[in-house]
Amino acid sequence: MLQMKDVCKVFRTELVETHALNEFSLTIDEGEFVTITGPSGCGKTTFLNIAGLLETLSTGQYLLDDIDVSTLSDYQRAKLRNQKIGFIFQSFNLMPDLNLFDNIDVPLRYRGMKAAERKERIDEALESVGLFARKKHVPSQLSGGQQQRVAIARALVGNPLFLLADEPTGNLDSNTAHGVMDLLQKINDDGTTIIMVTHDQDLASQSKRNVHILDGRISSSDLTTVNENAEPRAVFA
Amino acid sequence: MEIGPILRAMIRNKLGAVLITLQIAFTMTVVINAIFIINERSNLMARPSGLDEANTFYLSSVGYGDEFNGVVTVRDDLERLRQTPGVVDATVTNAIPVSGSGSNTGVRLVDDEAAATSFAAYYRVDEHAIETMDLDLVAGRNFAAEDVQWRAGSEAITTRELIISQQLANNLFPDREPNGVLGETMFINGSEAHQIIGVVEQLQGPWPSNSSVELSMLQPNSSVGSSATYLIRTEPGQRDRLMAEVEEMLVASNSNRIIRDLMSLEQTREGSYRIDSAMSTILWAIIITLIFITSMGIVGMAVFGINRRRKQIGTRRALGATRLEILRHFMVENLMVSTIGVTLGAILTIAFSIVLTSSFNMPTMAWYYTPLGMIALILIGQVAVLGPSSGAARTEPAIATRSI
Ligand SMILES: Nc1ncnc2c1ncn2[C@@H]1O[C@H](COP(=O)(O)OP(=O)(O)OP(=O)(O)O)[C@@H](O)[C@H]1O
Ligand SMILES: [Mg+2]
Repeated sequence: MLQMKDVCKVFRTELVETHALNEFSLTIDEGEFVTITGPSGCGKTTFLNIAGLLETLSTGQYLLDDIDVSTLSDYQRAKLRNQKIGFIFQSFNLMPDLNLFDNIDVPLRYRGMKAAERKERIDEALESVGLFARKKHVPSQLSGGQQQRVAIARALVGNPLFLLADEPTGNLDSNTAHGVMDLLQKINDDGTTIIMVTHDQDLASQSKRNVHILDGRISSSDLTTVNENAEPRAVFA
Repeated sequence: MEIGPILRAMIRNKLGAVLITLQIAFTMTVVINAIFIINERSNLMARPSGLDEANTFYLSSVGYGDEFNGVVTVRDDLERLRQTPGVVDATVTNAIPVSGSGSNTGVRLVDDEAAATSFAAYYRVDEHAIETMDLDLVAGRNFAAEDVQWRAGSEAITTRELIISQQLANNLFPDREPNGVLGETMFINGSEAHQIIGVVEQLQGPWPSNSSVELSMLQPNSSVGSSATYLIRTEPGQRDRLMAEVEEMLVASNSNRIIRDLMSLEQTREGSYRIDSAMSTILWAIIITLIFITSMGIVGMAVFGINRRRKQIGTRRALGATRLEILRHFMVENLMVSTIGVTLGAILTIAFSIVLTSSFNMPTMAWYYTPLGMIALILIGQVAVLGPSSGAARTEPAIATRSI
């Protein structure tokens, strides 16, 4: 479903050239829950941005759902993001002036969906994250954990092929973080593929698969055991 | 108290939009009414005087000394002028149309001080006035040479013939055709009875801003003292040459007088309407300044709002908004603010024009000014916001994950 082969991403500024990703190859199949870990600046967000079509790659190949995305126009990439990808951000990225209903409505409107169908889906999404009763509230009236639930509902409402989450629990305390993690786990159990960047080893070890990045390359791609206490077993690619 | 944070939040969000809305409404009110005033003025300025203004000029002869004979000089000068090649005709007159100075008199149909009185300008001229002024006689006849009384000094007027403007005829006899007023008696200068012998289509009085500017008449007599004013019409294109030549010729013909006030009717008109044109220029300057300031306000608010919402725009892009959809988002936002602004503006515009009409005796504004103004201001807003909006549309979706 997601196939990257020898992907390089180079950021050029006047002073330096940063190889954020270096011959990065990774395949992720449908239904997986993959956590991405690695030290700060190693290229996690860069990988997520390329996977989510927010940035273009410098060289290499990326097939998303068997489509070679390097040939797509900006317009086509926007449409593909809208239809196939759900994003969850570290700082939630909700629209502060819109209520929860309208926030979740944002991606559906860009899809040009009919009002009745949008409403049905939004209500269902709000229900699934337990915030249906708050749909007229604005984000600032919610706690951080609740805001991230709204963001998850927004990511899910369009039935995406996969969810991309960049440190979704980074701004939350550990209790709330576990709540959000449980929700993501449930979503994955229901069949949605999830790729999640995290700093939290604890959370990373909960997922079925952990990819560790060092200096823009994969240093390990482990299949973690379900047992939280077990030491990860290194399987070098 | 929470006034501080509440106020700051308002300034960040709503106040800008409210101010721009009010600015649009105010701009629209001023601009539309100013354009209406300018149009009214230029309509007034465009009214013809009835004369062939492009080819007409005038001058004054002022005699001095014991040897100067007014009557002889005037008749001699007129003879010379009419014989000058390129001159169509010339007449003597007491006043120049559109010039701002002249004389008028009360006009009545019955010899009774209590009767309704119109005020009409009069020109005291000879039988060449119709041809010199290029007037269209729509009824009756011109003065004959023998009708004309050449009065020395303050000799009483004995002539009884009048040629009047059609507007004056309409005012005095509202239901009659021009032919139907011929032979009627009018009382002027108190109780002098005069007969209408002719009607000309149009002849303005000397005061362009007067509401009775179209009410005028010609009298066949001329008071010739030491000074006289001659009105001269030339063949097309000859005016400027003849102005110089005629002056020289008259100076040379008689050493006991000087020639003054040589001026074309076009110069005269320009002078008389100078304040009106200055006012139009000032109003245009105000219009352009206001529109510029409002556009800048719209641009400023758009840029401010877009920069404040960079991350939201990036997030929208990440969630699937195309560049065009982002562009449209900000265009629509401006459209909403503008629509409220011009709606408020329409109410203010109409209210202001009612005040103008009732307190300054302005005509009523035509209905289409307001809708055209609304459309124009909306378009100006859309054009102003196009630049900032396309800047917003170029926002990279990666902003969503890269910024705090
Ligand atoms: N727009 C950019 N221009 C230049 N360099 C960039 C840009 N974006 C990222 N980089 C660089 O690319 C490298 C990888 O960045 P990236 O954001 O992917 O790291 P990360 O693993 O997500 O780090 P963190 O855990 O701190 O979020 C870093 O060295 C970063 O400085
Ligand atoms: Mg990162």
